[in-house]
Formats: sequence, C-alpha cells, structure tokens
Amino acid sequence: MRQWFGQLRRSLAALLHRDRLDRELEEEMQAHLEFQAAENRQNGMPAAEARQAARRRFGNSTFLKEESRGVWGWRWVEVLAQDIRFALRLMRRSPTFAATAVLTLGLAIGGNTLVFSLVDAVVLRPLPFADPARLYLLATVEAESQQAMNSSYPDFRDWRAQSRSFQAMAAFRGDSFNLTGAAEPKNVNSLCTTPGLFELLGVQPALGRPFAAADGDQVVLLSHRLWVRQFGADPGIVGRVARLDGRPYTVLGILPEGFHFPLRRFRGDHDVFVPLIPSLDRTTWELSVLGRLRPGATEQQARVEMDGIARRLAQAYPESRSRQGIAIRPLERDVVSSSRETAAMLMGAVGFVLLIACGNVANLLLSQGAARKREIAIRLAIGASRGRVVRQLLMESVLLAALGAAVGVLLARWGLPLMVRLVPERTTFYTRVHDYGVHINLAVLAFTGAVSLAAAVLFGALPALKSTAPGASARFGRQGGLRGALIAFEVSLAFVLLAGAGLMMNSMWRLLSVDLGFRADHLLTMDITLPEVKYPNPKSWPDFFAQATDRVGNLPGVISAGASDDFPLSRAYSINTVGIPGVTDKGRAAFHRVTESYLSTMGTPLVRGRLFTPADSEQSAAVVVINRTMAARFWPNADPIGKTVMVARRVVRSDGGGKRIAFVRQPVAIVGVVGDVRLLAVDREPIPEVFFPYRQWPQIGMSLVARTAANPSSLVPVIQKEIWRMDADLPLSEVRTMDDVFARDVAERHFVLLLVGVFALMAVVLSAVGIGGVVSYNVRRRTQEIGIRVALGASGRDVVWLVMRQTALWMLLGMAAGTAGAMALTRLLSKYLYHVKPTDPATFALAAAALVGIALAADAIPARRAARIDPVGALRYE
Amino acid sequence: MDVSEKTEIPPGTLEMLILKTLKRFGPMHGYGIAKSIQQISEEVLRVEEGSLYPALQRILKKGWVTAEWVQAGPKRRNRMYRLTPDGRRQLSAEISGYRRVSQAIERVIEPA
Repeated sequence: MRQWFGQLRRSLAALLHRDRLDRELEEEMQAHLEFQAAENRQNGMPAAEARQAARRRFGNSTFLKEESRGVWGWRWVEVLAQDIRFALRLMRRSPTFAATAVLTLGLAIGGNTLVFSLVDAVVLRPLPFADPARLYLLATVEAESQQAMNSSYPDFRDWRAQSRSFQAMAAFRGDSFNLTGAAEPKNVNSLCTTPGLFELLGVQPALGRPFAAADGDQVVLLSHRLWVRQFGADPGIVGRVARLDGRPYTVLGILPEGFHFPLRRFRGDHDVFVPLIPSLDRTTWELSVLGRLRPGATEQQARVEMDGIARRLAQAYPESRSRQGIAIRPLERDVVSSSRETAAMLMGAVGFVLLIACGNVANLLLSQGAARKREIAIRLAIGASRGRVVRQLLMESVLLAALGAAVGVLLARWGLPLMVRLVPERTTFYTRVHDYGVHINLAVLAFTGAVSLAAAVLFGALPALKSTAPGASARFGRQGGLRGALIAFEVSLAFVLLAGAGLMMNSMWRLLSVDLGFRADHLLTMDITLPEVKYPNPKSWPDFFAQATDRVGNLPGVISAGASDDFPLSRAYSINTVGIPGVTDKGRAAFHRVTESYLSTMGTPLVRGRLFTPADSEQSAAVVVINRTMAARFWPNADPIGKTVMVARRVVRSDGGGKRIAFVRQPVAIVGVVGDVRLLAVDREPIPEVFFPYRQWPQIGMSLVARTAANPSSLVPVIQKEIWRMDADLPLSEVRTMDDVFARDVAERHFVLLLVGVFALMAVVLSAVGIGGVVSYNVRRRTQEIGIRVALGASGRDVVWLVMRQTALWMLLGMAAGTAGAMALTRLLSKYLYHVKPTDPATFALAAAALVGIALAADAIPARRAARIDPVGALRYE
Repeated sequence: MDVSEKTEIPPGTLEMLILKTLKRFGPMHGYGIAKSIQQISEEVLRVEEGSLYPALQRILKKGWVTAEWVQAGPKRRNRMYRLTPDGRRQLSAEISGYRRVSQAIERVIEPA
C-alpha cells in the first residue's frame, strides 16, 4: 500500500514536471555521450569519429527518450493535451462553426439538465426517512369495488397485534384546527396519529420529544415552520400551551426543519400533530395506516400474512364484511408513482431535442470534414493511423460537447427557478419539489457529463469515420445520403414531439370549453370553520352560516352568496353509500350539505321539482335534491321526485372524554333535480350527487361562495371584514376565486403541456436550422454546376427545384418515419389527453402540415439564393 | 558488428544488475553504471547503453533508487543514482529469485 502510494506520488510528480523530466533525460544522455566520446578519444580516435562511435554505441536516443518517458505512463495525457490544443486551434480558426455547434448543444444539454434535475428531485431521490424502502401503506379493501379504502381503529389494533412482518404500525387521519393565541387566528392542517408515528419514520423532534402513551389527548407537536411563523421561534415553547379550536394543548416538541409528512391528499402541508382520538367502532373507516417492514421480511410475506389476518377478522366480525381485504403498497410508490411516467415522458421528449441537436452538429461536422479533406488526406498519407485521426476528430467533438455542457449548465441554472415556479400546486410533483427543492447537484452534473459525452460520440463518430474512410477524399461529396438520412431522422423526431404537443394542446382546448355545469367566473370561495369550543351546539351552526351568507349576499358588489361543505373542483368531496329501495342498497353518490342559496349562487340550473327553502328545517321532513346523473342512473324510466332514498347519518357522540363516531340509517325524500356539474375534476364526467339542506344536516365548517358583480378578488377584504364583524377570531382559509380553482385543476396538464410545447418548438427550430444548413451547403458545393445550368437556360424555378429536390425527399421520408413513431409513442401521453385519441388524425394532419410548411421554408430560403447565382461569376469560381 | 561475441543480458535482469552495482559501489551516474557492469562481467555482458535509461526510470518510479544532481565542475553536473532501503530489499529478493531459477535450470541441463 505504502509502495503503491509512493509510486502514485512519484508518477504525479513526473506528470506535473514533464518538462523538467525531459530536460533532465536530455542532459543525462548528452553527458553519457560525452563521457563515451572522451573515452574513445583517449583510445586514440579522432574527435568526430569518437562522437559517432559513442552515438552508435548508445542507440537511438530519440526512441530511448520516448521509452524513458513512457515508463511513467503519461503518454496518453500528452496525446490528449496535443489533441485538445489542436482542437482549440481549429475552433479559433472557424469561430462561427464552433459557436453554432456549442450553442445548439448548449440549448439541448441545458434542457436535459433541467428536466433531469426535476426528475432527480421528484422521482429519484429517496424519501427522507430512515430506510424508506421498508415503509408500507396498509389499507382496507372494499369487497365490492376491490378498492383500497381507509381502515377502522379496531382493525388497525388487531393488525398491529397479530402481524409479525411489520415491526411497527401507526394509524392517522387529517384534520384541521383553528389556532388562536399565537400571532393571528389561523386555520392549520393537522394530523391526528397514534403514538409511534415519528419513531416509525425515524424522525426525531428538533426540540422536545415525540408522543408517549401516557400523554393524554391535549398534547401537540408543531412543525418547524409554524413555530417560526406563529411563535417567533421561541426556544422556550416546550411545555407551554397552544390553543387549538379553543382548547389548551401542551406543546411537547418541534419537528425538525424540513420535515414534511409525505401524505397530504389534497390539503396542504401539516403544521400540527396531535394524538388520535379513535372511534372504537369497527365500521368507522377513517384512518390511513403506515407500517414498517421488519428487516428481512419481504413484501410477499407481509402480503400473505395480512391476507390471513384479514380472513380471521372477517370471520370474527361479520358486521364489517363490506370491507375485509388488506392491501399493502410501498409508501414510496404512493408518493412518487404518478410522477414517474410523466418524468419518463418528459425525459424522452427532451432527449429527442438532444438527438436533433446531435443531428445538426453531425451535419456541421460533415461539412467541416469536407472542407478539411485535404488536411486529413495529408495526415493519413504521411503515416498517421486512421485510429489516430479518428481519435483526434472525436476529441474535437468531445471538446464541443464539453463547451456545450458548460453552456447548458449555465442555461439550466438560469431556467431552474423559472421552471420551479411553474410546477403546479397540489400535484405529487409539487409536494416533492416544495418539500425538498430542485437542485443542480452532483448527481445532475454527473448525468449532464454522461449525456454530453454520449452526445459527442453520437454526433462525432459518423463524421469522423466517414471523413477518414479509405478513399474518402476521392469520393468526397458523395455524403448526400448520410446528410439526408440525418435530416430525415431529425424531421421524424420533431414530428413525434410536435404531434404530442398538438394532441395535448387539442385536449387543453377541449377541456377549456367543457361545460362545467356552473358559472366559474365572478365567483369567490373561502372556507370557514367554527371553533367547537365557542360553538358547542350544532344547532347554532346553521344560524351562523345563514347570517353569514345573508350579510355577505347583501354587500354592495355581491350578487348572492351561499355555503356548502364542498364545491365542484374543490377536491374535498365525500362519496357515500345511498340506498335506493327496490334498486340497490349500495348506490354511491357524492353528498353535499348546502344553504338555500348555494345552488342558485353557483348557477346550477334546477331541472325538476324545487330547491331548498328556509322552511326545510330541523322540524320539517327530511328532504334532498339530486342531480341529473343520479336521476338517470337510478330512475331511468321514472320521475324521482317524491321517491325516498336511505342515507347514513354520521353521528358524533361525546362519551368518556373521547369522540365516538357512528352511522344511523334514515330515509330522505327527493324534492328536486338539478343539472350536473364537473365535481371531481374538469376532465371527469359527472357522478351522482345528493344535496342535503344544511339546517337538517348541520356542518361546523363550510365553504362560502359569493357571486360578484366586479372582480371577485377585489371584494376579499370587504367580505372578510363582514365575517369578522360576526366573530373577530374566525380564520378564513383557502380564499380563492373559482377561476383559480379551475386553473389549479388543469395545472398539471398545463405544466406538462408547456414543457412538451417548449421541447417541440426547440425540435422544430433545430430541425429547420439543420435543413437550412444542409441546403446551403449543397448550394455552395454545386455553385458551378448551377452556373452551367443557368447559362444553358435553366429557369430560376428549375434551379430552386433542383436544389430542394435533394432534401425534400428525405424530409418526406422523415415525416413518414415520424408518423409511425408518433403512432407508437403518443400512447404514453394518454394520461394528459382528454377526448382526443393518441392517434387523432386531425391533430396529426395539422402537425404534419405545420412541419412540412416550416421544413419547406427552411429548404426554400437557401434554394432561392441558388436561383440568383450569376452564371458568369459561378463559372469563374475555380 | 562486434556485438556478436558479447552476450545480450537476459531480459528483466538489467534492473537487478543496476541495483547490485549501486549496492557495491555506492551512488553512481548512468555512464558509470554501464561501465561497471561491463568491467565486472569482464566484458561478457554488454549493456546496450541507451537502454539503461528507461530501466533507470522504471526503478526510479518503483522507488528503488533516488536520483540527484551533483555539481562536477564549473559547467557540468552528473545525475547520481542512490539505492534506497526499498531497493536494497528488492535486490536481495531478486537475487534469491534469480538464484533459484538458475539453479533449477542448471540441474535440468546438467549431464546426468
């Protein structure tokens, strides 16, 4: 080891002092020759002969010097340095060529770096928990739909007790609290969890300690962010009291900075963590379950074991038979799964751009190679091996790619904040980007390096081999085929991207013209949650919201106001079971509790029957309004008005200090049918919906909606002040215009469309530049021939066609290949298509027309220059 | 050429001869090493003089010798090679290895 280090040190010294090494060898050998010559003279030789004899005896000193130097093993460095110096000299000699190539590569490599940094942040980086690959989500499977759903606390307890594959499990659900007593009243997202969640994740609080079993219910852990913003990063916070919904909670600790609970559903980041007060009812499915696999246990073992547990539980508790399987899936898949395909698709798209750039640079190099044919021929003739010349040419390519990579990284650094700002909220992309940021880190740089090197080989190899091929100089100019093929290749890739972007744009256009079923413009929404301590009586809730909607509805600038526990596209919907006597007892519909004015404020039309009135109160008969889809599904041939359906009422009882949730079935009568809305998402078809009058189904938290005459954002302060006049401590959260809600709903498509669109544009522009370059080159090369043709009477049109013909055929070939490629690849976009087939002929035709137009323009502009060639000048050319 | 009557040294032994020479006579320059080998072998072994230098570089790299310049007159300096402790160890290892091989060869070609 020591010896090896010594050798390395000496070798490096030899590398660093190469010049001295050379000088010393030279001096030493010279001295040797002189000694020998002196000895020869002493033996009686004449001076000249003595020197000659000494040299003879010594051997080939140049060769020996080379060999001595070679001992140190740095010959390749010298050759490399030589190649680089030569390549740099060449670049200085043709700066336009170098700049074009470097810029082209820089753009493409920059794009790849940018997308890869996103992929690295979103998909590749492991979750920031201890041994994240062993974290699994466990869910209860609904027997009928076979879908993974929430689980009940008693089930969770049994799983935890009986499982051996999982070393730990924790159950949790999301909630929200009104936080008061800190800087300002604030509605915060909370996570209610069984003890042990943080230990399971391997997360230590930065301050204080995690939950313990003996803590009771009124303790809380705060996020680092909340501690900084609302408590001024007070280091003495542990042990103090925070008021949540008016109740005192003792602060146990602060979670570390940068900790984010990865499962957010559609709410924002969690800020407070409190102990779960579970419902002990086995049919109250309200919890998500996270487990850590024991070291050595496999997913398969766990699955088999959980199946067994599920069977035993199903036998023991027949009342929960509607949900009996247990599904497990890696947490990692849940957090990044939906991003993975998108990431791969974006990488592919930007990879195409790089391939096109490579095609362009290869064409540039071919032109260069043609110009350098004499130089290359001479070097080959005086004995350079073909390998040596190819290596030299490849080194030039590598140097171009390296400069391109440098430009690319600079461009990526500049574009990164721009891209991050575009990442839409509430997508898995956003969660990861928001939680951990996007960085051009070492992994990204390594990727960029590898991609650049691969690109250099890709665009450098063909021209290098071609221009050094035996007899290349004789056949010079017969590279039309290769150039044409490159053009065809570029056009085909550009077409795939253009078709993809076109399909997505088409989908977007269709989405924007979807009939939502309500008027989205001039609509403001905000969430109001009443603190239970202040409003303990559920009967007071409808009064509050009745008053609030009245007061807001009467404000100047507001046309009407209503409230509902959720609204279309809010992604807060709840889907419940509804029994239709004589049809099914397991119908599914979205339930909403709404004020009388809600449906009319939204602009959802009444189709039959009536809407709610203030008379639909606690004392009157239980009534509901349904939507048209519901009517059509369950009463296709009858009038639903007056029919009765069975619904479960969720009853929360306070007993023994904990909240207990139970469900009671009750009949309700249908009094009206309203139009359909896009409830789940803009791109999801309407589903059955049931509306309940809020006076019969009081809600503690509702979303206020206000239809305004003017710009809805401008009314926010007025409305807020009006609410605070009723209760100054009420936080208003999620204040948004419906236009924003809509934009957020399509944001992910928008983002992907934007990226793919930019790549398609880059692809088309690069291809056009490439085509133009090749045509210009052809014109230059055929100047003389064209001159002769013009002199012999060829018209301008003949000449243009003559020149264009050469590339137009290849372009058409490229279009054909591109169409085939697009047919095969646009399937990968299906997730982002709406009412457009991946092979939509109209879109393909439009994309083809656009590309042909651009390509022909790129072809025609230099070709027209050919038509203006002056025959006299051209003939005198050589 | 007059080389025919002299024997080319077996490949790989040049390094050993250099080390041995340096051990016997102390620090020495390249020309001196070449002459010593010839004289001691009574002119039987002939170092192709130039090839001494790549060999010297090889053992410099291995760390068996060090080299330093010593002033030898107003306009002349000599590069003197000196055996290192590592070189000494290497020499004894190579000699014993060489002995083993040559004894074995001796036994094979000895008339029975």
